[in-house]
Amino acid sequence: MGALEETWQFFTTSDNWWGNRGIAQRTWVHVQVSALSLVVAALLAGPPAILFGHFRRGGTLAVAVVNLGRAVPSFGVLALVLPLSIQFGFGLGFWPTVVPLVLLGIPPIFANTYTGVRSADPRVVEAARAMGLTRRQTLTQVELRLATPLIITGLRVSAVQIIATATLGALVGLSALGSFITEGLATFDDGRMIAGGLLVAILAIGTEIAFTITERVLTPWSRVGGQGPTRRRRLRRGEDSPEPGEVTGPNVKVELGL
Amino acid sequence: MIEQAVTDPHGSAAIRLVGVEKRFPGATEPAVTDLHLDIPEGQLCVFVGPSGCGKTTTLKMINRLVEPTAGEIHVLGTEIRSVKRPQLRRQIGYVIQQIGLFPHKTIAENIATVPKLLKWDRARVRERVDELVELVGLDREMLRRYPAELSGGQQQRVGVARALAADPPILLMDEPYSAVDPVVRGRLQDELLDLQRRLRKTIVMVTHDIDEAIKLGDQVVIFETGGIIAQSGAPDDLLARPASPFVESFLGNERGLKRLALLTVADITLTDGLVVDVSAAPSEALALMTAKASDWVGVRDGDRLLGWVWSSDLEGIVRVGDATPKRFRSAVGPTTSLREVLDAIVNSRTRVAVVLDDTDRYLGMITVDELSEGIGSS
Repeated sequence: MGALEETWQFFTTSDNWWGNRGIAQRTWVHVQVSALSLVVAALLAGPPAILFGHFRRGGTLAVAVVNLGRAVPSFGVLALVLPLSIQFGFGLGFWPTVVPLVLLGIPPIFANTYTGVRSADPRVVEAARAMGLTRRQTLTQVELRLATPLIITGLRVSAVQIIATATLGALVGLSALGSFITEGLATFDDGRMIAGGLLVAILAIGTEIAFTITERVLTPWSRVGGQGPTRRRRLRRGEDSPEPGEVTGPNVKVELGL
Repeated sequence: MIEQAVTDPHGSAAIRLVGVEKRFPGATEPAVTDLHLDIPEGQLCVFVGPSGCGKTTTLKMINRLVEPTAGEIHVLGTEIRSVKRPQLRRQIGYVIQQIGLFPHKTIAENIATVPKLLKWDRARVRERVDELVELVGLDREMLRRYPAELSGGQQQRVGVARALAADPPILLMDEPYSAVDPVVRGRLQDELLDLQRRLRKTIVMVTHDIDEAIKLGDQVVIFETGGIIAQSGAPDDLLARPASPFVESFLGNERGLKRLALLTVADITLTDGLVVDVSAAPSEALALMTAKASDWVGVRDGDRLLGWVWSSDLEGIVRVGDATPKRFRSAVGPTTSLREVLDAIVNSRTRVAVVLDDTDRYLGMITVDELSEGIGSS
């Protein structure tokens, strides 16, 4: 029997879906451990990144330090954390898995949040202050709003990495999607192993899509192009009139009549 | 809160700078040095000067975007350090290049920024936004769009509407037109002058364009490096009497032409000119031409100007009206700038500009000599 057929068989066997070790339960645990790790990573990385970006000082160094974390392998962290977790009563499985996932999630969130806030157009920020927005209002109503696309991108990258890496949890006894892979490996059950990989991939892709949609919904302004298609279309339809001298299309110069 | 000017012991200066100095950390020379300046209420004051002369720094000290290292600044009689920054700024409109609009907010939200900060109720905010859209000549349909969907000129109008939203007595404008092309810039400048005629705000504008300063300013302040005032005064005064070689070179060539652009026909005394009535005898007309050393003469019928005739056209006729007068090619009105008058003169065969009022009534003629006398005496 080929690997494809075995995988098909795995998915079409209803016993594999339900129960404590079924697909449904393990997907749920996988989502839980990933979501918790993402939230903790965001809470740890977000506020300092926002402050570094707002004050526009020392951020580059901070990003470099945080990025050092990327060099630490999650597998190594897992191995270090496991005995501590047992010693302090957090046990196997869930909690030891969360720690390396949080560390993994921090760098993209920190770097993107910092860059997003930092790169808010200083003239727009100055205009906000000049208009009488307080520091807090400038941060929440202008800088963070302008940084939204980059912040969501950071969260998305972290989320996908966390979901993919959460498979390691199987090594410390977490019964999540990674368990299908380890079990498949141990019992030479290719179908089970491939199915586990596929499920992780599907979850990651679904998450990616969800974040992308969220970003589009939250940033309606980023879909309008300046002299781009939106305005050109309006001009063509006569819904707007060109300024004298305005270039309204690729090679179309409006006659000045001078 | 800022008190009204009536409480100001210093008279009608809306903005008063007393011995203001700004040293930026690490700089050897101050950016602004011991600056004293009064900006009267309801005037449009333009700061102009080479880059790095401290004009923008001075502007930003008025709404405390930059804090002076010495001196005092009074806005409507109140020392600005006695007011919290956000409170001060909500009463001072601020316009920068179009790029200063909030890209993530719609046009309506941009305009409503300060009224919302001041916690106006919704109906009042909406009403005010509609009013402003009308005032600056925007289409109501644009309110739902984002700044990136508008042209440069439209964005600039939104910027002005946003600054005027809470009806502040003072408006600061930092190089507002530097990012739009010259044709649109000219139109926006005209719109600002028109707006200012109606609103009479105290406006302080920074520009590096001396022609813009001369065109817009009631008062023009020319800065030298170090935030030192090289000269300050009405545009015509500066052009007529530059105080130093620096001011002279900054005003540039064609000072005479620039003054002509500032003054209008109404600023000079009109003379009747080289004109005879249709009923006059040719001999009378020829005598006038001989006296003025001219080979042509204008012909009028009461308060209408019919045109002009060559001396040779007058041979063998009984009255001047029997010759067929040639029409003057162009006429100017009382509000025409003297620069356009000069243009009309050099383009006409008779070397004069004819002045008519709105109803085509003849008011007089201007020659080049009268033009230069006129600006000499003003």
